[in-house]
Amino acid sequence: MDPFLTSRIVTDVLGGLTNGVTYGLVALSLVLIWRSTGILNFAQGAMPMFATYVGFALLSYHFGYWPCVVACVIAALLIGGLTERLLVRRLYGKPEINPIVVMVGFLIVLEAVAAAIWSSTPRSLPSPFSSIHWQLAGKPFALSPFIVYEFATALVVMAAVAVLFRFTNLGLQLRASALAPEVSRLLGVRVGRLLTLGWMLSTVVGVITTILVSANFFSGLTPTVMDGIFAYGFIAAAIGGLESPVGAIVAGVLLGVVNQFVTDYVNQNAVIIIALAILIVSLMIRPSGVFTKSALRRV
Amino acid sequence: MITIEGLTVSFGAVQALRNVSLVAETGKITAVLGANGAGKTTLLRTISGLKEPKTGTIRLDDQSLVHKRTEDIARLGIGHVPEGRGVIGEFTVEENLRLGAMMAKVNLSRGLDEQYELFPVLGERRKQHAAKLSGGERQMLAMARALIAKPSVLLLDEPSLGLAPLVTAQLMHTIQSLCETSDLTVILVEQNATSALRIAHHAVVLHVGKVVANDTASLVAADENLRQYYLGLVE
Amino acid sequence: MKFAGTRRRVPIAMGVAVVATVVALVSTTTSREGVALSVAFDLAVACGLILSLPSFKLSHPVVSRAALTLLGLDVAIFITFFLNSSTNFNLATGAAMSIVLLGLSFLTGASGQISLGNGAFMGVGAFAMAIWANHHTTTPIVATLLIAVVCGALVGLLLGLPATRLRGPYLAGMTLAFAVAFTFILSTFSSWTGGDSGLQLPTAAIAPRWLDGFFHAGTPPLTTTTLYLTDVAIIVAGVAFFFMANLFASRTGRSMRLIRDNDVAAELVGVSLPRTRVVAFIVSSAYAALGGALLTLIDNSVSPPTYSFALSVTILSLIVIGGIGTISGALIGGVIYAFSTNVISWITTQTGLNPQGNLASQLNGIIFGGLLILTMLFAPFGITGAARSLWHRLRARSPG
Repeated sequence: MDPFLTSRIVTDVLGGLTNGVTYGLVALSLVLIWRSTGILNFAQGAMPMFATYVGFALLSYHFGYWPCVVACVIAALLIGGLTERLLVRRLYGKPEINPIVVMVGFLIVLEAVAAAIWSSTPRSLPSPFSSIHWQLAGKPFALSPFIVYEFATALVVMAAVAVLFRFTNLGLQLRASALAPEVSRLLGVRVGRLLTLGWMLSTVVGVITTILVSANFFSGLTPTVMDGIFAYGFIAAAIGGLESPVGAIVAGVLLGVVNQFVTDYVNQNAVIIIALAILIVSLMIRPSGVFTKSALRRV
Repeated sequence: MITIEGLTVSFGAVQALRNVSLVAETGKITAVLGANGAGKTTLLRTISGLKEPKTGTIRLDDQSLVHKRTEDIARLGIGHVPEGRGVIGEFTVEENLRLGAMMAKVNLSRGLDEQYELFPVLGERRKQHAAKLSGGERQMLAMARALIAKPSVLLLDEPSLGLAPLVTAQLMHTIQSLCETSDLTVILVEQNATSALRIAHHAVVLHVGKVVANDTASLVAADENLRQYYLGLVE
Repeated sequence: MKFAGTRRRVPIAMGVAVVATVVALVSTTTSREGVALSVAFDLAVACGLILSLPSFKLSHPVVSRAALTLLGLDVAIFITFFLNSSTNFNLATGAAMSIVLLGLSFLTGASGQISLGNGAFMGVGAFAMAIWANHHTTTPIVATLLIAVVCGALVGLLLGLPATRLRGPYLAGMTLAFAVAFTFILSTFSSWTGGDSGLQLPTAAIAPRWLDGFFHAGTPPLTTTTLYLTDVAIIVAGVAFFFMANLFASRTGRSMRLIRDNDVAAELVGVSLPRTRVVAFIVSSAYAALGGALLTLIDNSVSPPTYSFALSVTILSLIVIGGIGTISGALIGGVIYAFSTNVISWITTQTGLNPQGNLASQLNGIIFGGLLILTMLFAPFGITGAARSLWHRLRARSPG
C-alpha cells in the first residue's frame, strides 16, 4: 500500500489547500474591488453572508441545493449592485477613512440584521456531495467528494474571472475604468455602470466562497461565518499586494497550507498569530506586496 | 460643427472661461491658442462634459451637449485626445485601440488595419505595452484610438507638448491630411502657435478665459499685436 | 476671537461658587467635608474662569489649558458626589473609554489613518495591568498604569512599523487582523492571562487613609470605593486630555495634520512621513492601553471576551459619532458609552421588544452600525462637527 498519500504531510498539504482556496477567493474579491474603486471592502465577508441567508431561505419552500445556489448568486448580484449604487457611490473621492468607516458600519449592520432575522445559531446547509473522507487502505485520506467539488468550483471561479478580465471586451472595459476612469469615459466607456458591475461580480465570488465555507460540517452558516476568513483573506491580499489578483490567490492558498501545518504541529490558537506575524514580516520586507512588481501608489 | 455661445465656466470663485463663443466648422481645423492658464483645456473638458458650464450653450450640429454625460458625448462622435495623451500604459497598443473601437459599431480588424496604415509604427508595436512607447508614438496611439471610432469631431489637447519639432511637424501634417480627406471637424488646442496656425483654417485666441481674437488663421497669424502680446511670437 | 462675555465672567463665577457652596453644605453628611468640598470647588471655578480668559489663553496656552482641565475635573468630581453608585460606575467606564477614544481621534485627526484594533490595544493594557498587579502586589496604582501604557506603546510600535510605511487601508486591515487575533493570543498565553476566566486584581483599589473621610462625604447609599474609583478615573482622564490638548497644539501635532491634509507637501517641508505616522499610531495605542488598564481597575477584574473585535468596532462608532479628529468628540463618545446600555434597554422596553428576542439582542449592532454609516455620510465630523457648524451659522446670523 502507498502510505505516502495518507501521510501526515500530504494530509496537511491537502487540508491546507482546502482552506487556502477559500482565502484565495476572498482575497481575489478584495483585490477586484480595490483595483476598481480604491476601497478595501470590510463588508466583503458580510455581504455574501447575507446573500447566502437570503438564497438558502428557499430551503423552507422545499427547493433543493442548486436552486438555492442560483438564488444566492442572484441575491449577491442585487446586494453588490445596490451597495455600490446607494452607499459606495457617495464615497468616491472622499478621504480614505470614510469608506473604511462606512464599510465597517455596513459589516456590523449586516451581521446584526442577519442575526436578528435568522438568529446566531449555526444553520447547517445541505451539500450536494458527501463530506466523508475517502479511505485508503483503512486510513483516512485528506479528500472527500465535497472537497473535490470545492476545489473544482474554486478553480472554475478563478478561471472565469481570469478569462473575463484577460480576453473579453467587458474585461477590457473593467480594467480600463479601474486604471484610467476619466480617459475611459472620454472613449465612451460607461464607467459608472462598470463600477456597479465590479461590485456585483466580487459579491458573487464572495457568495460562492460563503456557500462552500458554510457547507462545512463543523461551522455551518452563521452571521459571523466569514469574519475569520475575511481576516485571512485580507492578510493574503496584503501579502500578495492589493493590486495583484494572481498574487492574492497564490498568497491565500499558501497561507491556508501554512495555517494547516501550524494547526497540526503547534496548535489551533497559534494560527492567526503566525498569520499576523507573516503579514508583519512580509510588509516590512516588501511594503507593496510580494507579488507586485513596483510600488504602485494611488494619489 | 460645434457651436459654442456665451460659455462661462468657473472653479469655485475663479472663472476659467468668461462668455466664450466660437464656431468650429465641419471639415475645418479650428485652433484654440493662448498661454498657460488661458482656459484652453477647460474649454475642451467642458465640451466633453468633464466640466459643467455655469452658463452658455454647446451644440454639436443641432444637438445640445450641456448636461450630458461624458460617455454619452463621446458616443455622439466626439473624440477627445486629452492633455498628456491619456494612453493606458498597462495596456498594449492593440488593447488601447480595442478600447477606442468598442463604443463605435465598427469592424475591429478593419479599423485596426486602417490605423496601422495611418500610423505604421503602431502596427509594428501592436503587442507592446503603451508605457514602453516614445512620446511621439504615444501621441499617435492616442489619436489612433480616437480615430478608430470614426468620430465626426476630434478634440486635440496640446498634441505637440513635449515632442521634437520634426515629430510635431509630422503630426500636424497627419491632422491636416485627415481633415482634407474626410469631413472631420478638428478643435486643436495648442500653445505652440506657429505650427498650429500653419495648418488651421480658423483661430481663436484665449486670454485669461476671454476670447481676444476670433478670425481666420491667416489673419490671426498676421496680427502683430496678437503675435506679440498673446502668442509670444516675437520676430 | 473677541469674546463679549469677558467682563461677565467674574459675576458668573461668583454666582456658580455660591450655589455650589450651598449645595455642598446642605447635601453632605458632615459639615467639615462639605466645607472642604465647596472650598476646593470654588477655588477651581475661580481659577478656571479667570485663567481661561481669551487674552490669557493667547499668552499662556498651556497654563490656560491646565486651568480649564482643573475646572472640568472639579465640576465632574463635584457632580459624582451626588450620583448613585451605578451611575457613577457608568461614568467611570465612560471616562476610561474616553481616553481610548481620544487616542483614536488623535490618530485619525493627526495622520488621517484609522485603527480597527483599539479594542485589542485596550486589552493589552487591561491584561498588562492585571498580570503586573498579580505578580507585584506592592506596586502603586499609578506605576502599574504606566507599565500598562508602555506595553500598549510597544505593541503599537510592533504593528505600526510595517503598516505605516504604506498609504491606503493597510493599517486598518492589519489592526483588524490584530483585533481578531487578540482573543487567540490570550488563550495561547493562558498561563499568564488566566485563560477563559480572565484575572482578578489581588486587592480592591481603595482610597488612601488620608482621603478616606473625604469620600465618606458623598450622599448615601454611595459606596466609598465606587466614588473613589470614579474620581480616580475622571482624574486620569483629565490628565490624559490635558496632555492630548497640548499635543494637538504642538509642533508635532501640526506636522501630523499637514500629513493628513497633504502628504506630498508635508514631505517637501521636511516632515518625516513614516516616523510621524508611527508616532501617531503609538500614541493612540498607548492611550487605548491606558483606558483598558483603567477599566481593569474599575472592574477589579479582566475577562477575555470583553476585548473581542466587537469592542474595537464600538470604539470606532463612538468616536465617529462624537466627532473624529477632535478632542471634544472623545468626551462626547465617552458620555455616550457610559449611558448606551441604559439607552438601548430603554429603547427595548419602550418599543415593547422581547428582551430575550433576536432583534433586542442585536439592537446594539444595528443602532451603532447604522449611526456609523449615517454619521460618516451626512456629518463626517460627528456631533462636534455638527455643533460647530451650527455655532458658526448662529454667530454669522446674529449682529455684531
